[in-house]
Amino acid sequence: MNHAPDMSKDVRPIATGRAAFCAAVVGALGLAAGVLFGLRDGWDVFFRSYLLNYTYVLSLALGALFFVMLQHLVRAGWSVSLRRLAELVAGTLPLLAVLFLPLLVPLLAGMPGVWEWASAEAVAHDASGLLRHKQPYLNVPFFIVRCVVCFAVWVGLARYFVRRSVAQDATGDVQLTVRMQWWSAPGMLLYGLTVTFFAIDALMSLNPHWYSTIFGVYFFSGSLVGFFALLALLVYFVQRAGRLTHAVTVEHYHDVGKLAFGFVVFWAYIAFSQYLLIWYANLPEETVWYQPRQGDAWWTGVSLLLLLGHFVAPFAALLSRWPKRRKGTLACAGAWLLFMHWLDLYYLVIPRAHGHGHEPAAPLHLTDVALLAGLAGVCVAAILRAMARQALLPERDPRLNEALSFENI
Amino acid sequence: MNGASPANAGGPQRPGTGRGGPVLRGLLVEFDSPGALITAAERVRDAGYTRWDTHSPFPVHGIDAAMGIRPTRLPWIVLALGVIGCITGLALQWWTNAADARHFPWVPVHLQGYTFHVSGKPLFSLPANIPVIFEMTVLLAALGAVVGMLAMNNLPLHHRPLLALTRFKRATCDRFFVYVDAADPRFDPAGTPEFLATLGAAAIEPVEEVVDSGRLPRGLTIAGLFIVCLALLPPLLAAKARVSKSEQPRFNIIADMDNQERFKAQQAHALFADGRASRPPVAGTLARGDLRGDPHFYEGRVAGEFAATFPPQVQITEGSIRRGQQRFNIYCAPCHGLGGAGDGIVAQRALNLDTPGWVAPTSLLDPLVVERPVGHLFNTITNGIRTMPPYGDQIAEMDRWAIIAYVRTLERSQNARLEDVPAELRSELR
Repeated sequence: MNHAPDMSKDVRPIATGRAAFCAAVVGALGLAAGVLFGLRDGWDVFFRSYLLNYTYVLSLALGALFFVMLQHLVRAGWSVSLRRLAELVAGTLPLLAVLFLPLLVPLLAGMPGVWEWASAEAVAHDASGLLRHKQPYLNVPFFIVRCVVCFAVWVGLARYFVRRSVAQDATGDVQLTVRMQWWSAPGMLLYGLTVTFFAIDALMSLNPHWYSTIFGVYFFSGSLVGFFALLALLVYFVQRAGRLTHAVTVEHYHDVGKLAFGFVVFWAYIAFSQYLLIWYANLPEETVWYQPRQGDAWWTGVSLLLLLGHFVAPFAALLSRWPKRRKGTLACAGAWLLFMHWLDLYYLVIPRAHGHGHEPAAPLHLTDVALLAGLAGVCVAAILRAMARQALLPERDPRLNEALSFENI
Repeated sequence: MNGASPANAGGPQRPGTGRGGPVLRGLLVEFDSPGALITAAERVRDAGYTRWDTHSPFPVHGIDAAMGIRPTRLPWIVLALGVIGCITGLALQWWTNAADARHFPWVPVHLQGYTFHVSGKPLFSLPANIPVIFEMTVLLAALGAVVGMLAMNNLPLHHRPLLALTRFKRATCDRFFVYVDAADPRFDPAGTPEFLATLGAAAIEPVEEVVDSGRLPRGLTIAGLFIVCLALLPPLLAAKARVSKSEQPRFNIIADMDNQERFKAQQAHALFADGRASRPPVAGTLARGDLRGDPHFYEGRVAGEFAATFPPQVQITEGSIRRGQQRFNIYCAPCHGLGGAGDGIVAQRALNLDTPGWVAPTSLLDPLVVERPVGHLFNTITNGIRTMPPYGDQIAEMDRWAIIAYVRTLERSQNARLEDVPAELRSELR
């Protein structure tokens, strides 16, 4: 198969000026509304909500970084037509490093409603003594050191892979591919360690009395579900805008659908592995995490919605071949899974164990929506701006032909 | 052989005609490029042949459509077996652990499950069942995929006349083949070679097979019989072992299992200062369920005196009195008699044998017993009296109280007044 005559239009950057501007405005308005809600209802609510929506957009960018490195690691040919889109998403990681800075405020202020262990008062009054015991690890300076390491690794990896890929558009140098392949292996090791530590530090330590050794994998599996959902949606809209119409075929959709399906099952496997062991052992120090999540009607409903919406429904919907090969259907599944991934993080971040920290005013606060619009708007604007500046396809990648003629058996 | 002439097909015969001679099994057509193979496949497909195949050294894109192969039905087999595995896993766990055998009296006992509580979990709880359900689903789905794939491809195929052809060996190297089976309903010994010759083939070769008598070779028969005889040896040895006796001690195949390194209750051991292997409970602790803090219920005493009333946790109902009757008839009636008059069969026999030292059981209807507080009776049952042994270890507290309630019922029945009889039944009294 040879689509060479059509390719020039396919890869042209999109003039996204207006869309990017709109996204930026939505982002700014969302952030401003979030701050106003914070002034009115207290900063605890604001920062919890910020953490939730921040980890949401961060997890999507981390999923993109994983996808880019994975393709280099296994020397995949089929995915070359999609790799630039993933690189665009991963390219937001430097921006996300800056957006992390507001979260240092509750940490340094020792607000007990966000990270309980950061508050000297909460540590002193902890009857179990566990917070004191965990202080050599859970203390503010060491936390900041770990975050700096994590973001240094992610920003470094994202810039390394995105820059070389874009540079290849101009030079066509095969050595760039060779070097990216070499670095993807140590990059993957660093990625696994940093994502695990970040998930433990930022999310699991919200309940500092509780621990789960599978927590890092849980966060990772959900991130990948979110990323593949985003990729399906992204490629759908890029094709609607008249780009990548020949470079990305139904075969690529099919594979994105397969990966989304695979990670949906992987997420369920990990989530159930964590649940089963804690449910079976029934030890108070472990069930304390599930207790607020199954304690009242709202959170029981959220848990069941996750079971049905994050696993059962997408499992049934994506099991067959044809839904993955119909672009509109796959894009709808992507939109649904993106929402489910947000709900998954909402389920991780917001509930609080009774007697720890402040009771939330309401399980779902307007701040949650405002900051979702804010942070997602800012990141979408950044992605759209990047789209306007560079080709949407690594057009001189040595494996591009393999991607163009790719067919599922 | 070369050329595409039908004469080279060597006098095609219908399969199965004539024993001992070569029989035509099909026709092999050779091509030298995948493009030619696809074009030829499309024409064979359009000619309506159904029992035919193509062979190539590598997967050729588009060959499925060219051959008219419909999407495989294998996923449905996998799905069906997956669902069966899921239901089997669920039903297995429900039947073995949660099904109440009383509702299935027609099932033989050795096929019934056994309710077994683990960690205080419900007998049937989905979280605990999911791993087994999951494994059964995956197992049956995977077996369905493998076995279904083999079955739908007619595999394993032990013998194929096609493989005897030297020409066909290049199918794994650099040649492309169409093979049309002679069993195809459209196969015509004269017309088919002619049609295949129009496909632009590099060569056409008939696939023939010499059919022999169909009898098994003698060597194979002897080897089979020998293996059957060998297979009979282990059951024969087992049968001999079942009837013969030996003075020798048995073999310890796994010595650790027959002689385990463990301590038995009351065994001595030098490690501890008190010389016992079993450890007493830590001072100031009690095992679960061993706390007997309520003297009224557990000893029948209130403030040191025998209690005159039943403890509050004992509910006197018809059900509890029937329970007491049942326990009484088991534990008490052999000596005290079913009516409580002290004339049970044990007492009668002891009287007949004139056993020395025998103290006749008290009649429970005796005014002495009737006037005793219930706590006194409880104490007697628990600790025994004279030749009556203590029953505290055999009858649970609640049952002891139920027995006492039944004894009180017996006493009342033997000392009933007219007012105790319901008004409508009084006329029946003479």
